Formats: sequence, structure tokens, C-alpha cells
Amino acid sequence: MLTSRVISPSFLPLSPPASTSSSSFSSLKTILSPFLAKTQLSYTRSSRMASSLTARAAAKKLENADELIDSVETFIFDCDGVIWKGDKLIEGVPETLDMLRSKGKRLVFVTNNSTKSRKQYGKKFETLGLSVNEEEIFASSFAAAAYLQSIDFPKDKKVYVIGEDGILKELELAGFQYLGGPTDGDKKIELKPGFLMEHDHNVGAVVVGFDRYFNYYKIQYGTLCIRENPGCLFIATNRDAVTHLTDAQEWAGGGSMVGAIRGSTQKEPLVVGKPSTFMMDYLSNKFGISKSQICMVGDRLDTDILFGQNGGCKTLLVLSGVTSLETLQSPDNSIQPDFYTSKIADFLSLKAATV
Amino acid sequence: MANGGREALTPQAARSLVDSVDVFIFDCDGVIWKGDKLIEGVSEALHTLRSLGKKFVFVTNNSRKSRKQYAKKFSKLGMEINEDEIFTSSFAAAMYLKLNNFPTDKKVYVVGEEGIQEELKLVGYESIGGPEDGKKYIQLESNFFFDHDKSVGAVVVGLDQHFNYYKLQYATLCIRQNPGCLFIATNRDSTGNLTSLQEWPGAGCMVSAVSCSVEKEPVVVGKPSTFLMDFLLERFRIDVSRMCMVGDRLDTDILFGHNAGCKTLLVLSGVTTLPALLDPSNSIHPDSYANDMSHFVQLLSQ
Repeated sequence: MLTSRVISPSFLPLSPPASTSSSSFSSLKTILSPFLAKTQLSYTRSSRMASSLTARAAAKKLENADELIDSVETFIFDCDGVIWKGDKLIEGVPETLDMLRSKGKRLVFVTNNSTKSRKQYGKKFETLGLSVNEEEIFASSFAAAAYLQSIDFPKDKKVYVIGEDGILKELELAGFQYLGGPTDGDKKIELKPGFLMEHDHNVGAVVVGFDRYFNYYKIQYGTLCIRENPGCLFIATNRDAVTHLTDAQEWAGGGSMVGAIRGSTQKEPLVVGKPSTFMMDYLSNKFGISKSQICMVGDRLDTDILFGQNGGCKTLLVLSGVTSLETLQSPDNSIQPDFYTSKIADFLSLKAATV
Repeated sequence: MANGGREALTPQAARSLVDSVDVFIFDCDGVIWKGDKLIEGVSEALHTLRSLGKKFVFVTNNSRKSRKQYAKKFSKLGMEINEDEIFTSSFAAAMYLKLNNFPTDKKVYVVGEEGIQEELKLVGYESIGGPEDGKKYIQLESNFFFDHDKSVGAVVVGLDQHFNYYKLQYATLCIRQNPGCLFIATNRDSTGNLTSLQEWPGAGCMVSAVSCSVEKEPVVVGKPSTFLMDFLLERFRIDVSRMCMVGDRLDTDILFGHNAGCKTLLVLSGVTTLPALLDPSNSIHPDSYANDMSHFVQLLSQ
């Protein structure tokens, strides 16, 4: 089952380079543990790179839903803007998921939101009346822990977390020791003469994700670990510019926290969330499915659709989230999914004309 | 400029430099002081240069204090420097707004400390944010709505030890939603010697954080932008080639000198080490380098 091939998923920074200064880019060559394909992977790239050299054709409006459904075995769904918006289920979702399951399709949910663990997301699905197993959920918090497992990150080393509870829970489940998290949000700095901030020299990785308790103490702690602990990894759960903490407005996303640490260390992180293909590689290996048998369904072009394209699977954009038809069709947009439709419930209503 | 600055300053080169320069532009952190401690021999070095008839100014990217507050700091350290000999990135931000006719009926949201707010006040602008907002948190109940002042016409981001999510989100909403809202960065230094014992994250962090959420690049007013050089040229009315920038950081101080066209001298008493300077990946080369100010001046009499 092990094939050796070189996968170069393109990790794309979501914002232009941070400064004119000379940055040192850490490109990490990773050898994954045996249960994943034996390849050399680099999840770090410094510059924008198109996932294919040729321009893609403009996205087609989904007309024949059955044809798409029959052509794949697995659907990967983003959550915010596809399944739910804030705490509200999007119209027609339960029936659509039931229909896909009845057709024998595998369903997987991949979200860049790192604030909850898979278990906590499982509860959210349950509260909304959807029967989804926690094994079917892949949040970027889980991805960070899974990544550390895949590289055999030593259990005697620690992880410093700039992020929330979801990351802490997943690290704990995977058996890793951690420091930081929400409680460091209460720590203050006094820049007084003679003050020296100490840090644990045993920290071997800093994981950065969305953090509403972000502060200067954490920035310095993370910076000291990355700069001074030899070989310390800098891992980002995701780099989304905005996130949907509430339904009513957009909020500064995990990309900001990652940006801050990039700013102080002048290093590029290893990204485990979309559009990096780490999670796609992980689940295609875990479930033994080939990429051509997968369709990625999301509402965001520069994470969901790019994730699907980088991974080599089919892509469907839904307009029930952050992206409008205008944005998709704008000359400024270069990311074209295979198809687009208004919401996933269209799978139920769009049928091929019967001959 | 033999070997493109890979040569240490020699006595002859030092004398030649001093002869060809009328005005020295000094960075502060890592050149004059480290945190609250004067670097050894700096007082004497400046005294020597003054006795040779040289003029100087101080150009610092540190926006935490205003010019007035910096003059007080110099005084505490036993040096009498006038506030108009000091150019801070906080002053630069205020001047940028003034010179671009920023209307006084608009507000400025500050992700930064008192220095920025004071300089803005001095030119007549009202600012909100600053250290006070460092105490604010967001409550994420399902119908919570984060409101922001629609009359904010500019967001100024600098070093902020009270940085938090509230300020990040406030700045983000202003830049994204207030039409024409300016996004100004005092500077983008990654770190600095804010205390004598270690380096600390610089404004580069806060600026990157905001830049990432708004998906825009800011206007940078501090080094290496040459915005402040215009003030120096106005003040001294001499050719830029008769000036020398003395600093400890390649991508701000030395790049500033290159961009402006003046001479450059790197001192190794701050954030840049000799290995970092000589590393093949480094593309920014000063005209020459010395260990520190004291070493530079000692070379003159060797």
C-alpha cells in the first residue's frame, strides 16, 4: 500500500509577504511514519504558487447533481457557511446528508476552526440534530496533533500553544505535553529594567491558531521558543484572515496570530489546515481512498477550493457562506472550482432531465 | 567601499568617514542604549564627535514614547538632547497624517502606546484605543455585536505591549469597513532590545497581525521608509551624502541609509551579530561596521 511519490502540496500564504526584510524560510522535510505514504513532504512555501500551471476553466453551474454524486465516493464538507452559519443549520442540510449516506457515500467534515476538539464538534453536530461520528470530523486542532504524531514528535518534549481549548484537548488525547493556551492570556509583562522572561527549553514545537486571549506575553514566549530552542517547530493550524465567531459579522482570524509570530521570528510556519493538503493526505491514507474519488465542498476559495485543487480532487463551491457569485466571477479571482451551486441542499433538487 | 561593507572600520576609514560627514543620524536601541541602560562609552563618544564640530540627530523606530519623553530619557541618562533633535516613528505617524491633510474631525484608532497618542494630540488629532483598550475583552455570546466608531479615518499600528484580540478586531473593522480608512504602521521591526537583558517582539508583530486580517499592506512611516529623511534634509539643508546613518539593524537602519542615499555604519552592540552580517544570505551591506560607538570613536585617534 505504500507508494513512494513526491507530493508537493502548495501551501499558500493568504496575505502578501510580511515585510521587505530578509526572511529566513524554514523548509521542513518531513518523513512521515509508516502508516502514511512514504514521501518527502514540504508544507512550507514562501511565495504564492498556482496549484496548476495552466489556467482553469471557469466554474460551471451545477446542473446535474446525480452525475457529480455518482462520480465520487467521498464528500469532504467544510462546516462554516456550508453546514451551519454560527449556531444555525443551513436549510436542507440534514436531508442532503441523509441522501448521500443512503447512496453509500462517505462523509467527512474538515474545518479550519481550531477552537474546538473533534469531540466538541461532535457535540455541536448532535445539538443541531445531525448524526455525525467524531471520527468523521477533522478540525485543524486535530490536524496539529496528528501532524506531530506523524513525525514522531518526542513525548518528552513540550508543545507551546498560542490558541484555544480545542488544540489543548487534541494534544492531550495524542499524549503530548503542552504549555500555554488560554490561561497564559492572564499573564502580563512589565518591561522594567532587569526583567528577564524565562522560557522552557524543552519546548520542541509552538502551535499557533486562533486565539481570542492573544497577548504580548504569548507572543514573546512563542518567539523565544522558536528562536532559541534548537529545532523548535513553528506550526500553524491555519491562516484564515477572517473567521465567523458569530453569525452577525466577520472576526479577525487565526491568520493574524500566525502573522504576529511570523513578524517576530521572520520564519514561515508549517501549515496543517486548509489549503495545505496535510488533512487530505491524512484522510485519504486513513480511509484508503484515492483523491479522484473525492469531492471537496466549501464556501471559501482560498482555503476550501484551493485545498481541493492542491489535493487533486473535484471541487464544488457553495454560495451559502462567505463567497458571492460576483466574487467568484470577478476578474480579480483566479481560483475556479469545478462547479458552483447555491447550497448543498441543491443536491436534492437538481436532477438530470429524464429522457 | 571595498568588499561592500564586509570590512571592519579601520582607523583611516574612520577618519575619512568623519571628515566627509557633517551630520550623524543615530538609531537609539542597540546603539545608544539597551532598555534603560546606556551602552558603555556612548557619552564620551558623542562628546568627541561634538568637539569635532559634528551635528547629530536621533531617529528611532520605537514608538512607545513621544519626542518629549525621549528627551527626558536622555536627560535621565546624563545627556542633554533637545526634543527637536529626536525623530521617533510616533512623530512620523502624526506628521504623515498632518502632511496629508488628515481632517481633524476624523479620529485615529491607535494600536500602540502613549507615545503615538501624545504625538497625535500635539498636531491636533483625537485618538482612541491605545493602552486603555488593552483592558478590554470580547464576549462571545451568540448575539454579541462588536461595534466600532465609524468616524475613525486612520488606524496607526506600532509596538504595543498591551496588544490583544479586542484591539486587533477593532482595527480590522475600521480598516475593512470605514471608507478610505488609512492603515499606517510606525515601523515593522521584528524585535528590539526593549530591556537590557533580551530582545522583545517589535511593532512588526502587531503590524503583521493587522495586515493579515485586513489583507492589506500598510504605509510604513519609520525606517527603512525615507519619510523622516525629508525632515532631516529640511532641518540641515546639506547634501544627503554629508550624512551618515549609524544603526544596529540591517533591514531598518542600514536600508534606510541606502534608500536615502547617505553613508551607513553598522554597530554590533544591538540586534545584529557579526555572523549574521557576514552570512551569504544577507543582502544588506553597510559601508562599514564597528563593535559599538565607543570603538568607532577610538579608531579616530589610532
